[in-house]
Amino acid sequence: MKLDVRTKLVIAAILSTLAIIYQNAVVLGVVLIITIVALALLKVSLQSFFDFRKLIYLYLVLIVIQSLFIRGGEPLITIGELHLLTTESIIYGIAIILRFLILIGSGLILLSCNLSEMLLAMDRMHIPYEIVFMIQIGIRFIPVLINELSNIFDTIQLRGVDLRKVYKRKVIRVYISIFTPLIYSIWQKAEQLSILLELRGFRRYPTRTYYRTISMGVIDYIIIGLSLSLAVIFVVVISML
Amino acid sequence: MIKPMVNINLNNVSYTYSGRLEPAVENVTLSLDSGEITAITGLNGSGKSTLARLILGLLKPQEGQVCLDNRPVNSYTLAEVGEKIGYVLQNPNQMLFNTTVYNEVAFGLRWKGMKGEELKARCNQYLELFHLWPLRNKLPFNLSEGQKQMVAISAVLALEPSCLILDEPTKSIDTLRKKILIRVLRDIGCLGTGIIVISHDRSFVDALGGREINMVKGKITAYETRR
Ligand SMILES: Nc1ncnc2c1ncn2[C@@H]1O[C@H](COP(=O)(O)OP(=O)(O)OP(=O)(O)O)[C@@H](O)[C@H]1O
Ligand SMILES: [Mg+2]
Repeated sequence: MKLDVRTKLVIAAILSTLAIIYQNAVVLGVVLIITIVALALLKVSLQSFFDFRKLIYLYLVLIVIQSLFIRGGEPLITIGELHLLTTESIIYGIAIILRFLILIGSGLILLSCNLSEMLLAMDRMHIPYEIVFMIQIGIRFIPVLINELSNIFDTIQLRGVDLRKVYKRKVIRVYISIFTPLIYSIWQKAEQLSILLELRGFRRYPTRTYYRTISMGVIDYIIIGLSLSLAVIFVVVISML
Repeated sequence: MIKPMVNINLNNVSYTYSGRLEPAVENVTLSLDSGEITAITGLNGSGKSTLARLILGLLKPQEGQVCLDNRPVNSYTLAEVGEKIGYVLQNPNQMLFNTTVYNEVAFGLRWKGMKGEELKARCNQYLELFHLWPLRNKLPFNLSEGQKQMVAISAVLALEPSCLILDEPTKSIDTLRKKILIRVLRDIGCLGTGIIVISHDRSFVDALGGREINMVKGKITAYETRR
Protein backbone atom coordinates (compact mmCIF):
# COMPACT_ATOMS: atom_id res chain seq x y z
CA MET A 1 0.00 0.00 0.00
CA LYS A 2 1.51 3.31 -1.04
CA LEU A 3 0.18 6.38 0.67
CA ASP A 4 -0.10 9.81 -0.87
CA VAL A 5 2.48 12.39 0.23
CA ARG A 6 -0.24 14.61 1.59
CA THR A 7 -1.30 11.89 4.01
CA LYS A 8 2.24 11.71 5.31
CA LEU A 9 2.40 15.49 5.56
CA VAL A 10 -0.81 15.52 7.64
CA ILE A 11 0.48 12.81 9.97
CA ALA A 12 3.80 14.58 10.45
CA ALA A 13 1.98 17.86 11.09
CA ILE A 14 -0.30 16.29 13.72
CA LEU A 15 2.59 14.63 15.56
CA SER A 16 4.76 17.72 15.65
CA THR A 17 1.84 19.90 16.75
CA LEU A 18 1.14 17.53 19.64
CA ALA A 19 4.82 17.59 20.56
CA ILE A 20 4.79 21.34 20.75
CA ILE A 21 1.53 21.90 22.67
CA TYR A 22 2.23 19.43 25.48
CA GLN A 23 4.89 19.82 28.14
CA ASN A 24 4.02 16.90 30.36
CA ALA A 25 6.62 14.13 30.12
CA VAL A 26 4.06 11.32 30.38
CA VAL A 27 1.89 12.73 27.59
CA LEU A 28 4.94 13.29 25.42
CA GLY A 29 6.01 9.71 26.13
CA VAL A 30 2.67 8.49 24.80
CA VAL A 31 3.01 10.70 21.71
CA LEU A 32 6.50 9.31 21.14
CA ILE A 33 5.15 5.77 21.25
CA ILE A 34 2.45 6.74 18.75
CA THR A 35 5.16 8.31 16.56
CA ILE A 36 7.20 5.14 16.61
CA VAL A 37 4.15 3.05 15.76
CA ALA A 38 3.35 5.44 12.89
CA LEU A 39 6.92 5.23 11.63
CA ALA A 40 6.76 1.45 11.71
CA LEU A 41 3.41 1.43 9.87
CA LEU A 42 4.76 3.82 7.24
CA LYS A 43 7.78 1.53 6.90
CA VAL A 44 10.23 4.31 7.69
CA SER A 45 13.59 3.01 8.84
CA LEU A 46 14.06 3.59 12.57
CA GLN A 47 17.82 3.37 12.12
CA SER A 48 18.38 7.12 12.16
CA PHE A 49 16.63 7.32 15.52
CA PHE A 50 19.42 5.30 17.04
CA ASP A 51 22.02 7.64 15.60
CA PHE A 52 20.79 10.21 18.09
CA ARG A 53 22.08 8.27 21.07
CA LYS A 54 25.39 10.03 20.39
CA LEU A 55 23.70 13.19 21.64
CA ILE A 56 23.18 11.72 25.10
CA TYR A 57 25.71 14.13 26.65
CA LEU A 58 23.92 17.06 25.13
CA TYR A 59 20.73 15.88 26.83
CA LEU A 60 22.53 15.62 30.15
CA VAL A 61 23.89 19.14 29.80
CA LEU A 62 20.38 20.33 28.90
CA ILE A 63 18.98 18.80 32.07
CA VAL A 64 21.65 20.47 34.21
CA ILE A 65 21.06 23.84 32.56
CA GLN A 66 17.32 23.43 33.17
CA SER A 67 18.05 22.83 36.85
CA LEU A 68 19.77 26.14 37.22
CA PHE A 69 16.57 27.93 36.31
CA ILE A 70 13.86 25.64 37.67
CA ARG A 71 13.38 26.13 41.40
CA GLY A 72 10.72 23.52 42.14
CA GLY A 73 11.12 19.92 43.23
CA GLU A 74 13.47 18.18 45.60
CA PRO A 75 17.10 19.22 45.22
CA LEU A 76 19.28 16.19 44.49
CA ILE A 77 22.71 17.78 44.10
CA THR A 78 23.54 21.19 45.48
CA ILE A 79 26.65 23.31 45.58
CA GLY A 80 26.13 25.96 48.26
CA GLU A 81 23.00 27.86 47.30
CA LEU A 82 22.96 26.49 43.80
CA HIS A 83 20.72 23.52 42.99
CA LEU A 84 22.56 21.54 40.34
CA LEU A 85 19.90 18.88 39.96
CA THR A 86 16.30 18.80 41.13
CA THR A 87 13.63 16.14 40.59
CA GLU A 88 11.47 18.58 38.67
CA SER A 89 14.27 19.59 36.36
CA ILE A 90 14.97 15.97 35.52
CA ILE A 91 11.34 15.50 34.54
CA TYR A 92 11.39 18.70 32.57
CA GLY A 93 14.61 17.69 30.83
CA ILE A 94 13.14 14.33 29.91
CA ALA A 95 10.10 16.11 28.46
CA ILE A 96 12.38 18.18 26.26
CA ILE A 97 14.21 15.10 25.05
CA LEU A 98 10.92 13.36 24.26
CA ARG A 99 9.72 16.39 22.34
CA PHE A 100 12.96 16.46 20.42
CA LEU A 101 12.61 12.78 19.49
CA ILE A 102 9.02 13.26 18.32
CA LEU A 103 10.07 16.14 16.10
CA ILE A 104 12.84 13.99 14.67
CA GLY A 105 10.29 11.26 14.05
CA SER A 106 8.06 13.66 12.12
CA GLY A 107 11.11 14.80 10.19
CA LEU A 108 11.86 11.18 9.28
CA ILE A 109 8.34 10.82 7.89
CA LEU A 110 8.94 13.87 5.69
CA LEU A 111 12.35 12.59 4.62
CA SER A 112 10.80 9.32 3.49
CA CYS A 113 8.70 11.22 0.94
CA ASN A 114 9.88 11.59 -2.60
CA LEU A 115 11.02 15.19 -3.00
CA SER A 116 9.30 15.82 -6.34
CA GLU A 117 6.05 14.41 -5.00
CA MET A 118 6.31 16.62 -1.95
CA LEU A 119 6.80 19.70 -4.12
CA LEU A 120 3.88 18.63 -6.25
CA ALA A 121 1.79 18.21 -3.13
CA MET A 122 2.65 21.75 -2.05
CA ASP A 123 1.60 22.95 -5.47
CA ARG A 124 -1.73 21.12 -5.14
CA MET A 125 -2.21 22.81 -1.79
CA HIS A 126 -2.06 26.10 -3.69
CA ILE A 127 1.30 27.21 -2.36
CA PRO A 128 2.68 29.56 -5.06
CA TYR A 129 5.07 27.81 -7.43
CA GLU A 130 7.77 30.40 -6.78
CA ILE A 131 7.91 29.41 -3.13
CA VAL A 132 7.85 25.71 -3.95
CA PHE A 133 10.67 26.34 -6.38
CA MET A 134 12.77 28.15 -3.79
CA ILE A 135 12.36 25.26 -1.37
CA GLN A 136 13.33 22.86 -4.12
CA ILE A 137 16.50 24.82 -4.96
CA GLY A 138 17.41 25.05 -1.28
CA ILE A 139 17.09 21.32 -0.73
CA ARG A 140 18.77 20.46 -4.01
CA PHE A 141 21.85 22.54 -3.26
CA ILE A 142 22.51 21.52 0.34
CA PRO A 143 24.56 18.43 -0.57
CA VAL A 144 26.36 20.32 -3.35
CA LEU A 145 27.42 23.08 -0.99
CA ILE A 146 28.48 20.65 1.73
CA ASN A 147 30.58 18.78 -0.80
CA GLU A 148 32.15 22.01 -2.01
CA LEU A 149 32.87 23.16 1.52
CA SER A 150 34.59 19.92 2.42
CA ASN A 151 36.69 20.10 -0.75
CA ILE A 152 37.84 23.60 0.14
CA PHE A 153 38.67 22.44 3.68
CA ASP A 154 40.77 19.64 2.23
CA THR A 155 42.66 21.77 -0.28
CA ILE A 156 43.44 24.43 2.28
CA GLN A 157 44.98 21.81 4.53
CA LEU A 158 46.78 20.13 1.68
CA ARG A 159 48.36 23.46 0.85
CA GLY A 160 49.98 23.57 4.21
CA VAL A 161 47.55 24.86 6.82
CA ASP A 162 47.34 22.58 9.82
CA LEU A 163 43.93 23.57 11.13
CA ARG A 164 44.68 22.15 14.56
CA LYS A 165 47.79 24.23 14.98
CA VAL A 166 46.58 27.55 13.61
CA TYR A 167 47.04 30.43 16.01
CA LYS A 168 43.98 32.28 17.27
CA ARG A 169 44.97 35.42 15.44
CA LYS A 170 45.08 33.60 12.13
CA VAL A 171 41.92 31.52 12.55
CA ILE A 172 39.80 34.32 11.13
CA ARG A 173 41.99 34.49 8.05
CA VAL A 174 41.54 30.77 7.49
CA TYR A 175 37.78 31.04 7.84
CA ILE A 176 37.70 33.92 5.41
CA SER A 177 39.66 31.74 3.01
CA ILE A 178 37.13 29.00 3.42
CA PHE A 179 33.97 31.02 3.05
CA THR A 180 34.95 33.47 0.32
CA PRO A 181 35.01 30.84 -2.43
CA LEU A 182 31.85 29.28 -1.09
CA ILE A 183 29.92 32.53 -1.16
CA TYR A 184 31.38 33.35 -4.53
CA SER A 185 30.33 30.01 -5.94
CA ILE A 186 26.82 30.37 -4.53
CA TRP A 187 26.63 33.78 -6.16
CA GLN A 188 27.88 32.38 -9.44
CA LYS A 189 25.50 29.45 -9.32
CA ALA A 190 22.58 31.77 -8.67
CA GLU A 191 23.55 33.92 -11.63
CA GLN A 192 24.03 31.00 -13.98
CA LEU A 193 20.91 29.22 -12.80
CA SER A 194 18.72 32.26 -13.33
CA ILE A 195 20.02 32.72 -16.88
CA LEU A 196 19.62 29.04 -17.67
CA LEU A 197 16.11 28.99 -16.28
CA GLU A 198 15.04 31.96 -18.35
CA LEU A 199 16.60 30.40 -21.43
CA ARG A 200 14.67 27.23 -20.83
CA GLY A 201 11.39 29.02 -20.46
CA PHE A 202 10.93 29.24 -16.71
CA ARG A 203 7.64 31.06 -15.92
CA ARG A 204 6.99 31.73 -19.59
CA TYR A 205 3.46 30.46 -19.06
CA PRO A 206 1.33 30.91 -15.96
CA THR A 207 1.02 27.22 -15.14
CA ARG A 208 3.35 24.29 -15.45
CA THR A 209 2.76 20.61 -15.83
CA TYR A 210 4.32 17.82 -13.82
CA TYR A 211 5.82 14.56 -14.92
CA ARG A 212 4.68 12.79 -11.81
CA THR A 213 1.12 12.55 -10.71
CA ILE A 214 -0.10 12.17 -7.19
CA SER A 215 -3.58 11.18 -6.30
CA MET A 216 -5.35 10.60 -3.05
CA GLY A 217 -6.76 7.09 -2.83
CA VAL A 218 -9.68 6.08 -0.63
CA ILE A 219 -7.16 4.76 1.86
CA ASP A 220 -5.54 8.22 2.09
CA TYR A 221 -8.81 9.92 2.98
CA ILE A 222 -9.56 7.23 5.54
CA ILE A 223 -6.15 7.49 7.15
CA ILE A 224 -6.20 11.28 7.26
CA GLY A 225 -9.70 11.21 8.76
CA LEU A 226 -8.74 8.61 11.35
CA SER A 227 -5.51 10.42 12.26
CA LEU A 228 -7.34 13.70 12.76
CA SER A 229 -10.07 12.12 14.88
CA LEU A 230 -7.46 10.24 16.88
CA ALA A 231 -5.65 13.51 17.49
CA VAL A 232 -8.86 15.18 18.66
CA ILE A 233 -9.69 12.26 20.96
CA PHE A 234 -6.15 12.37 22.32
CA VAL A 235 -6.39 16.08 23.08
CA VAL A 236 -9.81 15.69 24.74
CA VAL A 237 -8.75 12.71 26.85
CA ILE A 238 -5.59 14.45 28.02
CA SER A 239 -7.51 17.56 28.99
CA MET A 240 -9.96 15.50 31.08
CA LEU A 241 -7.26 13.64 33.02
CA MET B 1 68.14 20.16 -5.46
CA ILE B 2 67.49 16.60 -4.37
CA LYS B 3 63.99 16.10 -3.05
CA PRO B 4 63.00 13.62 -0.38
CA MET B 5 61.53 10.54 -1.98
CA VAL B 6 57.91 9.62 -1.47
CA ASN B 7 56.65 6.14 -1.86
CA ILE B 8 52.93 5.48 -2.22
CA ASN B 9 51.56 2.02 -1.66
CA LEU B 10 48.02 0.78 -2.12
CA ASN B 11 47.23 -2.70 -0.97
CA ASN B 12 43.97 -4.27 -2.12
CA VAL B 13 42.08 -1.01 -1.68
CA SER B 14 38.33 -0.91 -2.19
CA TYR B 15 35.99 2.02 -1.68
CA THR B 16 32.22 2.27 -2.02
CA TYR B 17 30.45 5.61 -1.64
CA SER B 18 27.64 5.45 0.89
CA GLY B 19 24.36 4.70 -0.77
CA ARG B 20 26.07 3.05 -3.75
CA LEU B 21 25.91 -0.63 -4.53
CA GLU B 22 28.96 -0.91 -6.74
CA PRO B 23 32.39 0.03 -5.43
CA ALA B 24 33.94 3.11 -7.06
CA VAL B 25 37.38 1.57 -6.56
CA GLU B 26 37.81 -2.18 -6.23
CA ASN B 27 40.82 -4.26 -5.16
CA VAL B 28 43.45 -1.82 -6.33
CA THR B 29 47.04 -2.74 -5.58
CA LEU B 30 49.55 -0.19 -6.74
CA SER B 31 52.95 1.13 -5.91
CA LEU B 32 54.24 4.53 -6.99
CA ASP B 33 57.67 5.98 -6.38
CA SER B 34 58.81 9.54 -6.72
CA GLY B 35 60.65 10.06 -9.95
CA GLU B 36 58.04 8.16 -11.90
CA ILE B 37 55.48 9.59 -14.27
CA THR B 38 52.20 7.71 -14.14
CA ALA B 39 49.10 8.43 -16.16
CA ILE B 40 45.76 7.11 -15.00
CA THR B 41 43.24 6.83 -17.79
CA GLY B 42 39.74 5.45 -18.01
CA LEU B 43 36.19 6.35 -18.94
CA ASN B 44 34.04 8.82 -17.01
CA GLY B 45 33.05 7.38 -13.69
CA SER B 46 35.69 4.66 -13.70
CA GLY B 47 37.00 5.77 -10.31
CA LYS B 48 40.08 7.81 -11.18
CA SER B 49 39.31 10.82 -9.01
CA THR B 50 38.21 8.50 -6.22
CA LEU B 51 41.57 6.75 -6.40
CA ALA B 52 43.30 10.13 -6.08
CA ARG B 53 41.22 11.02 -3.02
CA LEU B 54 42.05 7.64 -1.48
CA ILE B 55 45.78 8.20 -1.99
CA LEU B 56 45.54 11.55 -0.24
CA GLY B 57 43.57 10.08 2.64
CA LEU B 58 40.54 12.28 1.89
CA LEU B 59 38.48 9.10 1.75
CA LYS B 60 39.02 6.12 3.99
CA PRO B 61 38.95 2.79 2.18
CA GLN B 62 36.52 0.20 3.54
CA GLU B 63 39.03 -2.47 2.63
CA GLY B 64 42.77 -2.49 2.20
CA GLN B 65 45.29 0.11 3.14
CA VAL B 66 47.01 3.16 1.67
CA CYS B 67 50.53 3.86 2.87
CA LEU B 68 52.78 6.85 2.35
CA ASP B 69 56.40 6.04 3.08
CA ASN B 70 55.32 2.82 4.77
CA ARG B 71 53.00 4.56 7.22
CA PRO B 72 49.20 4.47 6.86
CA VAL B 73 48.06 7.69 5.23
CA ASN B 74 45.54 8.29 8.01
CA SER B 75 48.30 8.61 10.56
CA TYR B 76 49.34 11.88 8.89
CA THR B 77 47.47 15.16 9.18
CA LEU B 78 46.27 16.59 5.89
CA ALA B 79 48.87 19.33 6.15
CA GLU B 80 51.58 16.68 6.42
CA VAL B 81 50.20 14.84 3.42
CA GLY B 82 50.20 18.16 1.58
CA GLU B 83 53.91 18.54 2.27
CA LYS B 84 54.56 15.33 0.39
CA ILE B 85 51.88 15.35 -2.27
CA GLY B 86 50.57 18.32 -4.22
CA TYR B 87 47.01 17.82 -5.42
CA VAL B 88 45.22 19.73 -8.14
CA LEU B 89 41.49 19.05 -8.11
CA GLN B 90 39.43 18.35 -11.20
CA ASN B 91 37.49 21.55 -10.50
CA PRO B 92 39.82 24.54 -10.03
CA ASN B 93 36.99 26.62 -8.56
CA GLN B 94 37.26 24.60 -5.39
CA MET B 95 40.94 25.43 -5.07
CA LEU B 96 40.96 29.20 -5.34
CA PHE B 97 40.21 31.17 -2.22
CA ASN B 98 42.48 34.20 -2.20
CA THR B 99 41.89 37.78 -3.24
CA THR B 100 44.58 37.95 -5.94
CA VAL B 101 46.35 35.49 -8.20
CA TYR B 102 49.63 36.43 -6.54
CA ASN B 103 48.28 35.64 -3.07
CA GLU B 104 46.90 32.40 -4.40
CA VAL B 105 50.37 31.24 -5.39
CA ALA B 106 51.92 32.68 -2.22
CA PHE B 107 49.32 31.17 0.11
CA GLY B 108 50.98 27.83 0.85
CA LEU B 109 54.47 29.35 0.83
CA ARG B 110 53.52 31.93 3.46
CA TRP B 111 52.13 29.23 5.69
CA LYS B 112 55.42 27.44 5.29
CA GLY B 113 57.11 30.53 6.71
CA MET B 114 58.68 31.81 3.50
CA LYS B 115 58.88 35.60 3.23
CA GLY B 116 60.58 38.62 1.71
CA GLU B 117 62.67 38.32 -1.42
CA GLU B 118 62.62 34.53 -1.39
CA LEU B 119 58.83 34.44 -1.45
CA LYS B 120 58.68 37.04 -4.19
CA ALA B 121 61.21 35.23 -6.33
CA ARG B 122 59.43 31.90 -5.97
CA CYS B 123 56.01 33.36 -6.80
CA ASN B 124 57.34 35.27 -9.78
CA GLN B 125 59.04 32.17 -11.09
CA TYR B 126 55.84 30.15 -11.10
CA LEU B 127 53.66 32.99 -12.34
CA GLU B 128 56.03 33.56 -15.27
CA LEU B 129 56.06 29.90 -16.09
CA PHE B 130 52.49 29.88 -17.38
CA HIS B 131 52.34 33.52 -18.46
CA LEU B 132 50.22 34.47 -15.48
CA TRP B 133 52.34 37.48 -14.48
CA PRO B 134 50.02 40.08 -16.12
CA LEU B 135 47.12 38.61 -14.15
CA ARG B 136 48.84 38.74 -10.75
CA ASN B 137 46.56 41.39 -9.24
CA LYS B 138 43.30 39.99 -10.60
CA LEU B 139 40.65 38.22 -8.54
CA PRO B 140 41.11 34.49 -9.24
CA PHE B 141 37.35 33.83 -9.41
CA ASN B 142 36.91 36.16 -12.35
CA LEU B 143 39.47 34.51 -14.61
CA SER B 144 38.60 32.27 -17.52
CA GLU B 145 38.34 28.56 -16.80
CA GLY B 146 41.71 27.81 -18.36
CA GLN B 147 43.38 30.64 -16.48
CA LYS B 148 41.90 29.41 -13.22
CA GLN B 149 43.24 25.97 -13.97
CA MET B 150 46.73 27.37 -14.58
CA VAL B 151 46.59 29.38 -11.34
CA ALA B 152 45.57 26.28 -9.40
CA ILE B 153 48.39 24.27 -10.97
CA SER B 154 50.98 27.01 -10.33
CA ALA B 155 49.86 27.38 -6.73
CA VAL B 156 50.50 23.69 -6.13
CA LEU B 157 53.72 23.53 -8.17
CA ALA B 158 55.12 26.51 -6.27
CA LEU B 159 55.10 24.42 -3.09
CA GLU B 160 57.51 22.03 -4.84
CA PRO B 161 56.09 18.84 -3.33
CA SER B 162 57.86 15.51 -3.78
CA CYS B 163 54.88 14.10 -5.60
CA LEU B 164 52.11 15.66 -7.68
CA ILE B 165 48.61 14.44 -8.45
CA LEU B 166 46.91 16.35 -11.23
CA ASP B 167 43.26 15.55 -11.95
CA GLU B 168 42.44 16.44 -15.57
CA PRO B 169 45.06 19.20 -15.77
CA THR B 170 44.52 19.85 -19.49
CA LYS B 171 40.74 20.04 -19.29
CA SER B 172 40.37 23.63 -20.42
CA ILE B 173 43.82 24.93 -21.23
CA ASP B 174 45.05 25.92 -24.68
CA THR B 175 47.69 24.14 -26.77
CA LEU B 176 50.41 26.66 -25.93
CA ARG B 177 49.97 26.19 -22.20
CA LYS B 178 49.57 22.47 -22.64
CA LYS B 179 53.01 22.37 -24.26
CA ILE B 180 54.46 24.36 -21.38
CA LEU B 181 52.79 22.08 -18.86
CA ILE B 182 54.22 19.00 -20.57
CA ARG B 183 57.69 20.52 -20.55
CA VAL B 184 57.46 21.58 -16.91
CA LEU B 185 56.16 18.20 -15.78
CA ARG B 186 58.89 16.36 -17.67
CA ASP B 187 61.52 18.67 -16.17
CA ILE B 188 60.40 18.28 -12.59
CA GLY B 189 59.92 14.56 -13.25
CA CYS B 190 63.58 14.35 -14.20
CA LEU B 191 64.48 16.15 -10.99
CA GLY B 192 62.83 13.39 -9.02
CA THR B 193 59.24 14.54 -8.47
CA GLY B 194 56.71 11.75 -8.75
CA ILE B 195 53.89 12.72 -11.09
CA ILE B 196 50.47 11.19 -11.35
CA VAL B 197 48.18 12.63 -13.99
CA ILE B 198 44.59 11.66 -14.45
CA SER B 199 43.64 12.42 -18.00
CA HIS B 200 41.51 11.59 -21.02
CA ASP B 201 43.78 13.60 -23.23
CA ARG B 202 45.53 11.05 -25.42
CA SER B 203 48.11 13.42 -26.87
CA PHE B 204 48.96 14.77 -23.43
CA VAL B 205 49.42 11.31 -21.93
CA ASP B 206 51.54 10.19 -24.86
CA ALA B 207 53.69 13.30 -24.73
CA LEU B 208 54.38 12.83 -21.02
CA GLY B 209 55.54 9.27 -21.48
CA GLY B 210 56.07 7.01 -18.50
CA ARG B 211 53.68 4.43 -17.21
CA GLU B 212 50.00 4.23 -18.04
CA ILE B 213 47.35 2.66 -15.86
CA ASN B 214 43.91 2.05 -17.27
CA MET B 215 40.87 1.80 -15.03
CA VAL B 216 37.56 0.18 -15.87
CA LYS B 217 34.73 0.25 -13.35
CA GLY B 218 37.04 0.79 -10.40
CA LYS B 219 39.55 -1.90 -11.33
CA ILE B 220 42.97 -1.55 -12.83
CA THR B 221 42.94 -3.44 -16.08
CA ALA B 222 46.23 -2.63 -17.75
CA TYR B 223 49.70 -1.42 -17.01
CA GLU B 224 51.78 -0.17 -19.86
CA THR B 225 55.26 1.25 -19.81
CA ARG B 226 56.35 3.46 -22.63
CA ARG B 227 59.20 5.83 -22.96
N1 LIG C 1 30.53 12.03 -3.79
C1 LIG C 1 30.07 10.92 -4.39
N2 LIG C 1 29.02 10.24 -3.86
C2 LIG C 1 28.57 9.10 -4.44
N3 LIG C 1 29.09 8.56 -5.53
C3 LIG C 1 30.14 9.17 -6.10
C4 LIG C 1 30.68 10.38 -5.57
N4 LIG C 1 31.73 10.75 -6.34
C5 LIG C 1 31.81 9.84 -7.31
N5 LIG C 1 30.87 8.87 -7.20
C6 LIG C 1 30.70 7.69 -8.06
O1 LIG C 1 31.88 6.94 -8.02
C7 LIG C 1 32.23 6.49 -9.32
C8 LIG C 1 33.64 6.94 -9.68
O2 LIG C 1 33.69 8.37 -9.69
P1 LIG C 1 35.00 9.18 -10.01
O3 LIG C 1 34.71 10.61 -9.73
O4 LIG C 1 36.13 8.56 -9.27
O5 LIG C 1 35.17 8.93 -11.58
P2 LIG C 1 36.26 9.48 -12.57
O6 LIG C 1 36.97 8.30 -13.11
O7 LIG C 1 37.07 10.53 -11.91
O8 LIG C 1 35.38 10.13 -13.72
P3 LIG C 1 35.65 11.44 -14.62
O9 LIG C 1 36.50 11.01 -15.74
O10 LIG C 1 34.29 11.82 -15.08
O11 LIG C 1 36.27 12.48 -13.74
C9 LIG C 1 31.16 7.03 -10.25
O12 LIG C 1 30.26 5.97 -10.54
C10 LIG C 1 30.48 8.11 -9.47
O13 LIG C 1 29.12 8.15 -9.81
MG1 LIG D 1 37.29 12.56 -12.09
